[in-house]
Amino acid sequence: MKSAKFDHQRMVTLEEAVAALGSADGEARIMGGGQSLGPMMNLRLAQPDLLIDLSRVGGLDGIEVAGDTIRIGARVTHARIEDGAVPGVTGAYMQFVASGISYRSVRNRGTIGGSVAHADPSADWPSALLALGGDVVIAGQDGERRMPLDGFQIGPFATGLGFEEILTGFELPTLGEGAKCGYYKVNRKPGEFADAIGAVVIGSAPRVVCGATEAAPFRVAAAEERLAAGVAEISVADARDMIAAQDPGFDDYDLQIHAVALSRAVGRAFA
Amino acid sequence: MTELTLKINGEDVTADVEPRLSLADFVRDHRRLTGTHLGCEHGVCGACTVLMNGEPVRSCITFAVAADGTEITTIEGFDDDDPMTMLRQAFHENHALQCGYCTPGMLVAARDIVTRLPDADEDRVRLELAGNLCRCTGYVGIVNAILSVIEKRQA
Amino acid sequence: MADGGTGPGSDRQGIGERVLRKEDKRFLDGAGRYVSDIYLPRTLEAAIVRSPVAHAENLKISPPAGAEGRFFTAEDMAADGVQPIHVVSKFPGHKGSDYPHLATGKLRFVGESVAVCLADTRAAAEDLVAGAEIDFNALPPVVDMLAAVEPSAARVHDDWDDNVILDSRFDANAENVSAPVSVTRTFRMNRQAVNPLEGAAVLAEWDAREDRLVVYSASQIPHILKNALCECLGLRQNQVRVVAPDVGGGFGYKCVLLPEEIYIPWVAMQVKRPVRWIQDRREHLVTAANAREHHYSVTLHAQPDGTFVGLEADIIVDSGAYSVYPHSNILESTMAGRTLHGPYTFSAYKVRSRAVATNKPPIVPYRGVARPGICFALELAIDAMARELGREPYDLRMQNLVPPEKMPYTTITGGEFDSGDYPEALRRSADLIDVAAVRARQLEGEADGRLIGVGFGCYIEMTALQTSAAARAGLAAIPGYEQAHVRLTPDGGLEIGVGVQNHGQGMETTLAQVACEKFGLDIDMVSVRHGDTATSPYSTGTYASRSMVMAGGAIARTCDVLGENIRRIGAHLLQCGFDETTISGARVVGPSGDVSFAEVARVWHRNPEDLPADVDPAGVEVTSGFRPSPDKSPFSYATHAAIVAVDPELGHVEILDYVISEDCGTIVNPMIVDGQILGGALQGVGTALFEESCFDAEGQPLSSTFADYTMPGSTHLPNIRLDHLVNPSPLTEFGVKGLGEGGAIPPPATIANAVNDALREYGAEVSETPITPRRVRACVVAKS
Ligand SMILES: Cc1cc2nc3c(=O)[nH]c(=O)nc-3n(C[C@H](O)[C@H](O)[C@H](O)COP(=O)(O)OP(=O)(O)OC[C@H]3O[C@@H](n4cnc5c(N)ncnc54)[C@H](O)[C@@H]3O)c2cc1C
Ligand code: FES
Ligand code: FES
Repeated sequence: MKSAKFDHQRMVTLEEAVAALGSADGEARIMGGGQSLGPMMNLRLAQPDLLIDLSRVGGLDGIEVAGDTIRIGARVTHARIEDGAVPGVTGAYMQFVASGISYRSVRNRGTIGGSVAHADPSADWPSALLALGGDVVIAGQDGERRMPLDGFQIGPFATGLGFEEILTGFELPTLGEGAKCGYYKVNRKPGEFADAIGAVVIGSAPRVVCGATEAAPFRVAAAEERLAAGVAEISVADARDMIAAQDPGFDDYDLQIHAVALSRAVGRAFA
Repeated sequence: MTELTLKINGEDVTADVEPRLSLADFVRDHRRLTGTHLGCEHGVCGACTVLMNGEPVRSCITFAVAADGTEITTIEGFDDDDPMTMLRQAFHENHALQCGYCTPGMLVAARDIVTRLPDADEDRVRLELAGNLCRCTGYVGIVNAILSVIEKRQA
Repeated sequence: MADGGTGPGSDRQGIGERVLRKEDKRFLDGAGRYVSDIYLPRTLEAAIVRSPVAHAENLKISPPAGAEGRFFTAEDMAADGVQPIHVVSKFPGHKGSDYPHLATGKLRFVGESVAVCLADTRAAAEDLVAGAEIDFNALPPVVDMLAAVEPSAARVHDDWDDNVILDSRFDANAENVSAPVSVTRTFRMNRQAVNPLEGAAVLAEWDAREDRLVVYSASQIPHILKNALCECLGLRQNQVRVVAPDVGGGFGYKCVLLPEEIYIPWVAMQVKRPVRWIQDRREHLVTAANAREHHYSVTLHAQPDGTFVGLEADIIVDSGAYSVYPHSNILESTMAGRTLHGPYTFSAYKVRSRAVATNKPPIVPYRGVARPGICFALELAIDAMARELGREPYDLRMQNLVPPEKMPYTTITGGEFDSGDYPEALRRSADLIDVAAVRARQLEGEADGRLIGVGFGCYIEMTALQTSAAARAGLAAIPGYEQAHVRLTPDGGLEIGVGVQNHGQGMETTLAQVACEKFGLDIDMVSVRHGDTATSPYSTGTYASRSMVMAGGAIARTCDVLGENIRRIGAHLLQCGFDETTISGARVVGPSGDVSFAEVARVWHRNPEDLPADVDPAGVEVTSGFRPSPDKSPFSYATHAAIVAVDPELGHVEILDYVISEDCGTIVNPMIVDGQILGGALQGVGTALFEESCFDAEGQPLSSTFADYTMPGSTHLPNIRLDHLVNPSPLTEFGVKGLGEGGAIPPPATIANAVNDALREYGAEVSETPITPRRVRACVVAKS
């Protein structure tokens, strides 16, 4: 179980990296922490021709608060977030999410940017960040652009990121003291990918996410309306109806566990 | 081939390697440090756990080129390390190993637990160990060994 | 010896002592030496072209570019006269088939070996594999065992008239099987993988100095592997040496011959260089390490007062495509048929058992062999009967277990339980788990909405399979007298050679304890060598919970003979009669003085001029052997009891408490006994709740990584409480019984019974392993 051949280039600047993506022969990929790429390449499920290493590119692993947003660099690891590097209520929520991602030795290398760029439907950050809202920051040939997290992931392993673009970070809302957050991951073993995710963030307005589906995580409109109306609880039966209304594709069991995740995430937010 | 400079168990190492070479295969096959084991090569079992700059990482899904400029410690590199000395003795006394295949990765992970979480209780230790598979012991001895070291270090 | 061990120089390191393991240090230091750690210059790495389909014919293979002299197929092996693996048992009606090393014309499971590619690195060898092309005509696959027995099913082997490998009946007083109260259920234990953390591994070279083929393999059975190599490759015994170095767990998987263990050495002989193949986890999960997969239709008949009368069953075991060497493809089906009765009394028995072939990997023996399935089917049927009769499952078992006063007890199928108190094990585990408290808690309900249940699982395990039983089954390896070789070294220590293989069981310690028990010498002075056919006595190896019983017995007997020789020399040195001497504390003690083993050894080895003229020339190096007499096996047994919480919304099962009351006879080392049971129990939890090798309708494996195949982990079982009964076996040295496998047998039954107890308000019953959330939910939904 060994990777196919590839070239490896260490970049020093972002511009250089973007240029390398553009001029590569064959498939080029950015290497984040390698914690998804590594397994996939060992299994030869991914066989890129070129890996672009950003570890010497500065400025991608910062965490800064600027007014009502927090900027988080793409190369910030899950472990740093677990250890509380992100401040405030946003940070506490992210800390909880991070501590449930894989195992410490994976969290030490895996990055938040890699996770969102990878867009594995069962991964945590795509769902957790969608519930927070905010923007993805992207570098490309024409400089920097932003895309809202809403709509960034368009399917399993598919995002709005262009082939020649690099995800450089996130701008997330700094939640106030009164904000409520709840995250519920259904899996059978700590650190495994999720079978179902419910994520709830009630900041300026409620955002409720159903994640770990066959496709991209999605916001559950009926649940958000219910919470906006001041209700502090959503039953499993109601959650089933709400989710099924938006995505009729679930089988009974999957619908059930996603509904339970949503219902329990709401419960945690109000606990 | 890509040039690689790093420290392994305190020793400066320079090598020219294929980019596809994993850090695990580099230490095992090129440096003949065979204490680091491969149990899955896709990041789940933890048998390949080594320290990179003092933090545990999976060497099977870390390419050797990604270790450029770092300090790697494998199971062979802990001779003068107090927490590891205590853990080895505790593993011995608590029958925390049978076939021994998971043991090097388990010890490296255990060292991270006792140093990073000096107050961990049994539930926390079990949670932190979820990333290291042992097919032989049922974990009871491993958990007890780690708890005993935590307790000794608190005294 | 480090702290916590027992003192040197006393007999306190003998049988029964918690001696810390002699083998630990090298593993703790990262200095263990497994096959993949052995470095031979000029080694080529092998990667294997494997079948992408479950069933096909007209296989054609084109080598990848640039692989001249580095690519080998079945044709090349046939041209060299290599013989296939062929295991047919003596059971009448057993259909034989070859197990090709590399596929010849037909493909019979996904992952079957097709060709070998060699390169300087494994990665480069895998590049060659990717470049090889194979062509074939796909055939409809036989995937499910229930479909496989239908006459309309496609056939796995063209020259058979159906897929039934062996159809056997185990009837006794069958006409009286019925009784007033009957429950009928179907059960399924699904296929899983064995998953020692080290997979299979082979490194082979023709060693010019030794003038023989040297094969390093992660094997539990080096001598049997050597036999197979000689048979398949047409080599003399003196042309093959097999070394099983440190082995990273086996659990039965490594006690069968793998095709790779034949073709990799053969390839090494062709290229005249060392060749190694290190199985990766995907190969392990997909190609060769499948186990279990039983289906049961069971009817249990009882009197209205709960007395068991008859047991009726139709058993099907999915044995996969081929028959494995040496244990064959009917080991499980015949064992299941013969011993479904478990530890209970029955007066009538009507059981049919069939092994069937499918287009899936051959199943291999895995810890417990057949008994986890047997125990699951019988124990769940008993709980169903208890519900039918409105009885506590605990009571109903108590009423029907074989009582101690009936020991030795002949079972309805002619087996013989040697000793033990089965009801006592149940009683003690029920006390420990506190059934009454669970019932009270169930009435109260749980704050978190989960449902609590308690379950039991009782089993018996015939350990240390004996000569006549193995011969009756016609296995390709029949154990006879197990031998040990014990040598007094010039410093008065002992070197012990055994043919069993240690891969985690702590035998370098426990077998040394046997010698310490006999001679009272310090355990540091005793070393146990194993795993090398060049230096150890012949043995069928380590399997069937036999090593302590057999090799331990052999060491004891050999020490008795050696002890006499040592005493004879000692008597001469002490100038007393042989009959006046005894051995104690590694000294020969006479009426007026004593002399140390070191002194005896010094004289024998270095100052033979001081020996009497009539000294026994056999000296201080003895080989002798043991087998139980009469030729019967000791039975160990236990009751497991568990409390679980079921989350009815998600279908998740959490084990809240788990107790085990077991009897493995005399305990050699309590620490190691506990370790074996604890490790086995977690494997049983894996079978119960998590592990499944799934296939789609085309026979494609769906569980090919640890991401798709969930292994039980550190959070899945709370600290088990262990309780030991000690009823020594009358058949063995010291009264030991085999123990290695037992822990893995009853957890599926115990946990399923606890889940069904929790679900009883729904009237729902799980009947299949693993008890996944999806399956639990399906039961709940079906009933609500
Ligand atoms: C055993 C195991 C268990 C895991 N369990 C979980 C889990 O429970 N939950 C979970 O969420 N994750 C889990 N993961 C995945 C882990 O969190 C990864 O770290 C993460 O998914 C990917 O991050 P990375 O930095 O390692 O990305 P990489 O593996 O390096 O890259 C992943 C993909 O993203 C692309 N990419 C990376 N960085 C950028 C960038 N800056 N710009 C553009 N593209 C980029 C890469 O080209 C690649 O296609 C697990 C992994 C393992 C090995
Ligand atoms: S070998 Fe690296 S995690 Fe299993
Ligand atoms: S001791 Fe064998 S895998 Fe842990």
